[in-house]
Amino acid sequence: MTEKTEVSICFGTLCFIMGGSAFELLSEHLDEELREKTLIRGMNCPGYCNQTSEYGKPPFVKVNNTLISEANLQKVITAVKKEVLHGADK
Amino acid sequence: MAQTNNATLIRREIITRLCRLYAENRLDEIDRIPLEMAPRNTTAHNSRCCIHKARAIIRYRIMALLGFNVADETDELETLYSYALRSLAGTDRGKGVLTVVDEACTSCVKSNYTVSNLCRGCLASHCMVTCPKQAITMENGQAKIDPARCVGCGLCQDACPYHAIIYVPIPCEESCPVKAIYRNAQGIEEIDYEKCIHCGKCMVACPFGAIMYRSQLIHVLHQIAKPAKPVVAMLAPAVCGQFRADYTAVADAVKRLGFTDVFEVAEGAVLTARHEAGELAAHLESGREFLTTSCCPAWVEMAHKHLPKFLPDVSETWSPMRYSASMIREKYPDAMVVFIGPCVAKQAEALKYPGVDFVMTFEELGSLMIALNVDFQDSDASVPGEVIRERAFAISGGVAGAVAQYYQGEVLKPLVINGINKKNIALLRKLSATKHDYNLIEVMACEGGCLSGPAGISAPAVARKLFNARSGISVDQIAITGF
Ligand code: FES
Repeated sequence: MTEKTEVSICFGTLCFIMGGSAFELLSEHLDEELREKTLIRGMNCPGYCNQTSEYGKPPFVKVNNTLISEANLQKVITAVKKEVLHGADK
Repeated sequence: MAQTNNATLIRREIITRLCRLYAENRLDEIDRIPLEMAPRNTTAHNSRCCIHKARAIIRYRIMALLGFNVADETDELETLYSYALRSLAGTDRGKGVLTVVDEACTSCVKSNYTVSNLCRGCLASHCMVTCPKQAITMENGQAKIDPARCVGCGLCQDACPYHAIIYVPIPCEESCPVKAIYRNAQGIEEIDYEKCIHCGKCMVACPFGAIMYRSQLIHVLHQIAKPAKPVVAMLAPAVCGQFRADYTAVADAVKRLGFTDVFEVAEGAVLTARHEAGELAAHLESGREFLTTSCCPAWVEMAHKHLPKFLPDVSETWSPMRYSASMIREKYPDAMVVFIGPCVAKQAEALKYPGVDFVMTFEELGSLMIALNVDFQDSDASVPGEVIRERAFAISGGVAGAVAQYYQGEVLKPLVINGINKKNIALLRKLSATKHDYNLIEVMACEGGCLSGPAGISAPAVARKLFNARSGISVDQIAITGF
């Protein structure tokens, strides 16, 4: 079995208020196949929001090792798809 | 219906910045916010014509955030700091809760009908011939509509054989259920406060974020900062749908912001439900046909301004906010009482009755938490706490359900009006004119109930999911068949 793609959503207040609440429905937006291959979890504020010049704007989501700034459902779903496909041809 | 789009996020960023300045005792730097948010050499003003305009808009947003009606500006050079001081000193609040940031509102079409480039400039010119106002001319081989003459009848659209004339909606006007917002002679939207019911739908609808509620936040910050009196917050029943946290954790976070104590409005809702059940029984016994709920302030305002026939049958029972305020005052007689909820209309309700000093929104609460670095991860309060069934007041159908629990009398026939919109207003008019056998009518202005309130933190679907997970009651079990 291949490893699951890990999606870490920042649950810090700042990310949550600045649009991150939308990820509450992330799993509902993934089709079944993708959902099975992903592991969605939360993370406490990793501090990216304090260094916006380096990391960009909130909300932040990490898909495996890729950090997404100004994340929204579309961006995250695209990244998840890419990771899942990439994993498949390994 | 709160949405997290760019317009909302900009508002939240401004609120956060204001809170930070206040907390750090740097309010005198408030005039820098527009410069910092729209700095030179950036694309921060991408959807505006230029940086100066972007800054001007932010400036007017801050004016609304300081509690002013943007239309009341008399001196364009008055600094934001001066507004801030005036706001803190004064009590004159002017009219209305919602205000149009006129600088931001110039981007909609001047007329709902416009000729697209599919127009062939045909010889027959059905559009020109049909127009009852002579608003259409032919220019350079294409028809053109003069917005000053167009009355929006749409006859030209029907007449065009090429379907070249399109209808372009104006989102705020379209969303307003009571026609309280209209273009003035300058082509800018204006709110008629004689008609406005403060439902906040226009604010949510405007893609340019040109409509804002006049905030009372600065007063709340001020009260928290000067510990002369206890400042007590009450959290509306929709609170369980706002954060990824149980009620106790939210209450704990609110205390860490500096509030003396926190109450749950659902406790006041228990009293509302009980009294309303008694009132309903007595009302029907006295020979009246039905009673409508009264906890939604936009609905009560609607009845007063647009459906006066309903007035004798609108419940007089206090709203959960008012009961909660009196419970708070039993414990803290001299407290400053702050209602925190997802609602814009509550501000107008609070002004009408003594008891609640200030109204704040959940979105402001969240922004204040950001500004003061209050996070849930450092909260010890993780016990779910007691479940108050009246949390269901946050959901369409929940109020009727709660009243039914306590009601004793003839058979109950409830009707749930889920959202004030044009269709439901027509239904209400019909109900007031014809015979029907409903005896309890619940009305909520927001579709889905307060969980979809205009100043909540997340989109209604997210709020419902959070509420289901956190409140201890299920949205779907509550819903009584509504419209
Ligand atoms: S809150 Fe998300 S990075 Fe800090």
